[in-house]
Amino acid sequence: MPPPRTKEGGDPRGRHWDPGEEEAPEKWDWNCPETRRLFEDAFFRDEDYIRQGSEECQKFWAFFERLQRFQSLKATSKREKDPVCRKHSVPALADLPRTYDPRYRINLSVLGPDTRGSRGLGRQPPERVAEFRRALLHYLDFGQKQAFGRLAKLQQGRAGLPIAQYGNRILQTLKGHQVVVVAGDTGCGKSTQVPQYLLAAGFSHVACTQPRRIACISLAKRVSFESLSQYGSQVGYQIRFESTRTAATKIVFLTVGLLLRQIQREPSLPQYQVLIVDEVHERHLHNDFLLGVLRRLLPKRPDLKVILMSATINISLFSSYFGGAPVVQVPGRLFPITVVYQPQEAEPAASKSGRLDPRPFLRVLEAIDGKYPPEERGDVLVFLSGMAEISSVLEAAQTYAGRTQRWVVLPLHSTLSVADQDKVFDVAPPGVRKCILSTNIAETSVTIDGIRFVVDSGKVKEMGYDPQAKLQRLQEFWISQASAEQRKGRAGRTGPGVCFRLYAESDYDAFAPYPVPEIRRVALDALVLQMKSMNVGDPRTFPFIEPPPPASLETAILYLRDQGALDSSEALTPIGSLLAQLPVDVVIGKMLILGSMFHLAEPVLTIAAALSVQSPFTRSAQSHPECATARRPLESDQGDPFTLFNVFNAWVQVKSERSRNSRKWCRQRGIEEHRLYEMANLRRQFKELLEDHGLLARAQAATPGDSYRRLQERRERRALYHLKRQHEEGGGRRRKVLRLQEDLDGGSSDEDRGPGDSVDIQDVKFQLRHSLDQLQAATSSAQDLTRDQMALLKLVLGRGLYPQLAVPDPFNSSRKDSDQMFHTQSQQGTVLHPTCIFASSPEALHTQERKAGAGQASRDDKDKMSSKHQLLAFVSLLETNKPYLVNCVRVPALQSLLLFSRSLDTNGDCSRLVADGWLELQLAESESAVRLLAASVRLRAHWESALDRQLAREAQRRWPEVDQEEEAAPVDHKEVADLSRDLLQFAASKVPYSLRRLTGLEVQNLYVGPQTITTAPSLPGLFGSSPLSPHPTKGGYAVTDFLTYNCLASDTDLYSDCLRTFWTCPHCGLHMPLTPLERMAHENTCPEAPQDSPPGKNVGPLPKVSALQRPYHCEVCGEDFLFTPTDVLRHRGRHL
Amino acid sequence: MEGEAERCPLGVFTCQLCALTAPYSYVGQKPPDTHSVILLEESYIMKDPFTSDKDRFLVLGSKCSLCSRLVCVGPECSLFYSKRFCLPCVQENMDAFPQEIRQDLEKRKTPSKRPASQPGSRT
Repeated sequence: MPPPRTKEGGDPRGRHWDPGEEEAPEKWDWNCPETRRLFEDAFFRDEDYIRQGSEECQKFWAFFERLQRFQSLKATSKREKDPVCRKHSVPALADLPRTYDPRYRINLSVLGPDTRGSRGLGRQPPERVAEFRRALLHYLDFGQKQAFGRLAKLQQGRAGLPIAQYGNRILQTLKGHQVVVVAGDTGCGKSTQVPQYLLAAGFSHVACTQPRRIACISLAKRVSFESLSQYGSQVGYQIRFESTRTAATKIVFLTVGLLLRQIQREPSLPQYQVLIVDEVHERHLHNDFLLGVLRRLLPKRPDLKVILMSATINISLFSSYFGGAPVVQVPGRLFPITVVYQPQEAEPAASKSGRLDPRPFLRVLEAIDGKYPPEERGDVLVFLSGMAEISSVLEAAQTYAGRTQRWVVLPLHSTLSVADQDKVFDVAPPGVRKCILSTNIAETSVTIDGIRFVVDSGKVKEMGYDPQAKLQRLQEFWISQASAEQRKGRAGRTGPGVCFRLYAESDYDAFAPYPVPEIRRVALDALVLQMKSMNVGDPRTFPFIEPPPPASLETAILYLRDQGALDSSEALTPIGSLLAQLPVDVVIGKMLILGSMFHLAEPVLTIAAALSVQSPFTRSAQSHPECATARRPLESDQGDPFTLFNVFNAWVQVKSERSRNSRKWCRQRGIEEHRLYEMANLRRQFKELLEDHGLLARAQAATPGDSYRRLQERRERRALYHLKRQHEEGGGRRRKVLRLQEDLDGGSSDEDRGPGDSVDIQDVKFQLRHSLDQLQAATSSAQDLTRDQMALLKLVLGRGLYPQLAVPDPFNSSRKDSDQMFHTQSQQGTVLHPTCIFASSPEALHTQERKAGAGQASRDDKDKMSSKHQLLAFVSLLETNKPYLVNCVRVPALQSLLLFSRSLDTNGDCSRLVADGWLELQLAESESAVRLLAASVRLRAHWESALDRQLAREAQRRWPEVDQEEEAAPVDHKEVADLSRDLLQFAASKVPYSLRRLTGLEVQNLYVGPQTITTAPSLPGLFGSSPLSPHPTKGGYAVTDFLTYNCLASDTDLYSDCLRTFWTCPHCGLHMPLTPLERMAHENTCPEAPQDSPPGKNVGPLPKVSALQRPYHCEVCGEDFLFTPTDVLRHRGRHL
Repeated sequence: MEGEAERCPLGVFTCQLCALTAPYSYVGQKPPDTHSVILLEESYIMKDPFTSDKDRFLVLGSKCSLCSRLVCVGPECSLFYSKRFCLPCVQENMDAFPQEIRQDLEKRKTPSKRPASQPGSRT
């Protein structure tokens, strides 16, 4: 098809572009907005390729100006020689244009206004119209060339990857086998290419699991780009809070945890044809479990294909686990790396101070400066074991950098803010090297280009787990050979590199070949719970690729039984099956369930979410006092969970006042806003889960009343979507050039700088996902919690966190604030995290306020009688250089122990109590002791039964025969109200007592031991209706499954329970000498006494017994008596 | 996001010279969803994968008007001079083309190879 005929089309000389030959009398100005608009009106209409006012339109004019400059240059240079073109014999060549014109090289044509009979341009000079049209043509052609160039480059890049030659082999092998192992080192392209090979081969239901969420997103992005469906939904990702998956999605990248949940729902995984399990060599807990699940699934799904992708580490393990699955091994793309061993001489002074000696690291920097000219680019990546090590090297390296002006030093670890983490991708100015001080995060998770030198300390800090103490311990280890190689490899990604190992070659040889798999290092509670809920059978016999230590499994099972998630036959309880669906720690899951029962859902949701994410507090408050000051009003003297609660609420408040900038607000307070976004997401997920399980009434869809409001809301949302899309198209953050050495923050990416940053994309996403109004309504109602609600909330937290309790050291009040010490059952001398409220205001925990100038008399709380003793309930115990209690809340000691202890032991008159065999409570009056004890027995039974019924009803509801939407709150409203009232009353009781941790020796000799008398004493109704039976090991009598009466060995109170005084019952007028215990028993059962609590359905009415005496058969003398309990004791004493 | 690329893939375009492949969704001179642009050759077209704009298209290639080989529009494989010619055919019939094109091809003989640079990524 010939080019559309236009007047100037045949003019080979392009003379109308020549400014020297300007024909028009008046000066023609393309820059005149009027002129431009005329042309835009004609050419850039809505149905045209370029639209008026679009970004494209601006680009065109920029191109137009460039083209004009170029044309004018060309027009003056060579234009004279007419090309000679002979008519060709081949017909296809015969009709080529005789004279050359660049436009013959353009394979498209624009229909202009004249061909379309348009208006407007009639009065414009035709040569100007032609000029414009020609420019437009060139512009479109340029766009085509550019896009095609990208496409070609993309394909070249893909074809150049080491794995490209193995694509067919992988597909072939997969045809003949159900499982294939693809082994290749970082950089071979397996993660991005294998899914695309499958796609090209026609597979359309492919799942690819990743251990990390961030990898799901970045891989989905990359793969969709490479497979040319960047703007389609062929490739998607699915992570906890986000999904881009649609019905059209053929490849989905998802986290291992999410896939496991899908299996939980549909065990045969019918939605997938091919499953790619990436990074299996990292041996994450969930990955190991997934492999076991898959191995069992494969025989049932013979059509399912599985590809395991691994670094070239321990490949045979995976292959043989799947019955000798074939392995396709792909060489990595690495440049040669020189290894230099620089063992440190026996560390002298450094180890004493506990700080890492930065000198060996500085020596490497010096060596690099000495050996390599600054114009030879190449950055340094230093692997250190932890944050403390990073900061000590950072300090020294920054001093060095300041002196030499040749370095930009940047830290990299997971607790940095996202913006700070991103700085490592920025580039250093010419002549300056980047030195990145990183934890092992840069070993596999983060890939930084341009690294030429790697400095490897050979150390790593890993979370170890002590199953006995349930203590997480961050310990420093030597790395494995596999990690050392991985670290080394980071130096050879872009060119030949050097790896400095700050240890000896003999050390390397002694390293373990592989890192310890996670399953051998962590608590298995969550895993066991998940296994139970997936019905995979006994965790002890599950065919793990490498079994976990049996002790860890047993601890986990025991723990879950203790927590009520498993019953005595290790089957999942209703609460357990609910907990299994909450993606959180068991303790936090319990809080959610308990909280929703007491209508405290809103605050508990926030607190549970807050306790499930990393602390939002950055370390800046330690160095910036103004941060700490700004944060202070948010702190709660009740404990960290409440501080976090305040922070979140205040933040939502700031966000809902649109005029204020929440990002700035956070920075002023040293808060990482990203964590708050995570909290909001998690909170919403929790809420939905509770709603799904009927524990929370579903909020009515808050439809704004009038249509105007609705319309406005829809418009706002659309605007937000638009912003989000714009941001995504902009490709997010661009790399910046780092600035050389300024303050210690030394970096480039100030979030607030630059006009492009005016949109807070996090905020946009947040607003799209959450109804700010709803959130604000929920939080503002929670902000002013009543005293009762607060007390109840603390009980909920306490019960959730139990048995994670710590008792303050008796000498704390005489210690410095920062030296406050606490003891848990298994760990003595734990300390508080510096961000903890009780570290800065420890007086909140002291039994009485220190009076100014008070004497030395009561300097400590040891054995002091007080009604204000408190314990700390904590979320986790973390050992780094010291054991730290993380996220503490203070709870009243006596009441908490009575309500939560798994084991409570008493002496004869109940004035001495031992909780869980480690905390001793000594009450001043036995009478109040018995009263509280009895109340706690009753309350616990009520609480338990209400919870059970709620969960049981919920279990029924999930498989309903009929739709039971109508049904109101699961447990009777009044019952909950009564229970709350009783609990509050109980929590508020003021009884003086002393509190102390038992010594090891005391623990050993705690109990009287089994007694020969087997018949129970009768204290009717004292502890409810339960019959008493002798405790087989402790001695005394088991009253309930947690309470054992009179089993404590003691020499002091032998007769205390026998002392009778005259007493008159206020209800029935009974007047007789009674022991405190007898008195209590009577009071509890007095027929005239008002019932102080409604009888719970399961508790049953308390038996009315009017006499204290019961028939008693003595095994020793063989006689029958009518005895009061104390009579029994006295009688028994006679036989001793 | 309804995904235009996967809406109607007619087939996979493969350049017979460089083996570039891409799914095409239209063959002809009038790209769908585009009113004002027409093509001067029968082209294999896909929706431009690098923009979210639905009516942007990308010409992948067409048949050489001499040997009928299907070739991509890449400058290493073909050129357009009022018609599509694959480079081997151009080389054979060099004299049929104007001097500007011959000069261009001369320049192209010393190809500049740039390594594909990839942005730093987290995997």
